[in-house]
Amino acid sequence: MTDTADEIQIFEIVLSVALALIFARLFGSLIDRLKQPPVIGEIFAGLLLGEFGLGILAGKSVTLFSVPIQLPQLSYTSEAFTFLAELGILFLMFLSGLEINFSDLKKVQKPSFFVAMGGVVAPLLLGTTVSYLLGLSWHIGLAMGLILVATSVGVPVRVLMDLQKLNTEVGLTILGAAVFDDVIGIILFVSVLGVASPMDVTFLGFKILIFFILFLFIGLKIIDKIFDLSEKIHLPKALLSLCLSIFLLYSFFAYQSGIAGITGAFVAGIVIGRAMKSRKVIDDIKTFGYGLFIPLFFVWVGANIDPTIFTTINAIGFTAAIIFVGIIAKIIGCGIGGKLAGMTNRKTLQVGIGMIPRLEMALIIAGAAISQGILIGEIGDQILATTVLLTIVTTLITPSLLRASFK
Amino acid sequence: MKNHLITNFYELPVEKLMNNHLWDIPIIEKNEDIINILNILSGRNHIWVVNTKKKKELIGVITEHDILTTLSPKDFSPYVFGVPDIRSLQHGTVKTAEDIMSTKIITCKPDEKIIDILKRMRKYQLRRLPVVKNKKLTGEITLHRLIQKYYKATQYYSLEEEG
Repeated sequence: MTDTADEIQIFEIVLSVALALIFARLFGSLIDRLKQPPVIGEIFAGLLLGEFGLGILAGKSVTLFSVPIQLPQLSYTSEAFTFLAELGILFLMFLSGLEINFSDLKKVQKPSFFVAMGGVVAPLLLGTTVSYLLGLSWHIGLAMGLILVATSVGVPVRVLMDLQKLNTEVGLTILGAAVFDDVIGIILFVSVLGVASPMDVTFLGFKILIFFILFLFIGLKIIDKIFDLSEKIHLPKALLSLCLSIFLLYSFFAYQSGIAGITGAFVAGIVIGRAMKSRKVIDDIKTFGYGLFIPLFFVWVGANIDPTIFTTINAIGFTAAIIFVGIIAKIIGCGIGGKLAGMTNRKTLQVGIGMIPRLEMALIIAGAAISQGILIGEIGDQILATTVLLTIVTTLITPSLLRASFK
Repeated sequence: MKNHLITNFYELPVEKLMNNHLWDIPIIEKNEDIINILNILSGRNHIWVVNTKKKKELIGVITEHDILTTLSPKDFSPYVFGVPDIRSLQHGTVKTAEDIMSTKIITCKPDEKIIDILKRMRKYQLRRLPVVKNKKLTGEITLHRLIQKYYKATQYYSLEEEG
């Protein structure tokens, strides 16, 4: 390829990033005005820009006022754009680790713990089994089950605040349980990778152990010292560079140890988030994450949706079954958990409904499974499309169900 | 011409310029009620939070900005993950100092030089640092006080003079 061709390609990527950000923010804020999670608008922006939307115009020539115009060849599923989206997943996990507050976890009461456990086990078991019965392999089924595990707490929190019910037993139980299942989801993702690799399970276990000892425990011990030392570097934003490099190194070594980059990014977030001097640097990291890479990830998700898979009855049936299982399994699982913790029937139902929405974590797990090569080809398309529909359906139905349950 | 005054100023240890009048510094215990905190902050810009007033072990700080987060209507980040920040006066989720304080505190030691304090304040965009010795709060050094001290020195007062 000549230099000029390379240059054109670079600027096509630059243009696609610009359009992705504009569309993501535009549709994100439109959806926000409708009091729904902006992420859904960002995914829609991706769908609109992708191959099944404006993407059909890519590379075509059109004539406008008798002037022929060659439209640029933009792709939101290209290798370069996928790379940016994958950085978005890592940033999302890194920021989650940074903001997670372990003293909140300690405060979590017995009901939250039981609800979280029930809410993890039931969707995982039912999701995996139903996927297997519908013809997926156990391994892919496990990935599907895992996508159903983590609740997105943003949706119920908004509704509970509106209803002035946040500071109640139900509200606090949902909040506590939702942190737990996010963390459990991240940890369990390792198991999906473990099943995938032909590697000896004990060897994998050993590598995971070494990773956590080296990177989490030693990391937590020395991070304050590293920050103190870094004060000697007087270059602008040197602390930010330090944090970003720790984050990327953790992701790399986690990937190398067979743990998945997202887990490494999350652990890096926990370690840096605990450092006393990290307070200001978190804002800088958010600038990168929320301002650039994370919206690109959601646009990438949208652009990767292939609506044509829904032309067969089987595909529609599969998606409908998974969404149904996703909803029912949370109500049953969290319900059993709530009952075991001694909550009343009505409260267990309210908690179960509050735990229905899936959003960020489901998309991250689907995205990471695709980028790690676990989900490929038609099955990958099917699961991604199912996950997106799952997030839309569950986040849309929860507010009205939750309001009704409080009447 | 070299400004000797500022070089001398830079070299001074924190303990010479800090406010060590603990009775004069806003300090509360971690279970202090939010209403009392609002009362103190209506006259001050910040409050140090200690475990008990007797032990004076520093565990947090509350600034006007923390109040802004809880006083303004709740606004969520577009990508909520884990526990969202639900601190809100409107929704009654803030009751004591512990619910609202920041636990990440950038501190300084009494024997550190003023030049390092200034650099730290600039780096972390802070206007006040607690002076801590063996985890115990022994005083505070504020930008306001540093300005005051330096100005006085330009007016031929001694840099180390009390007050």
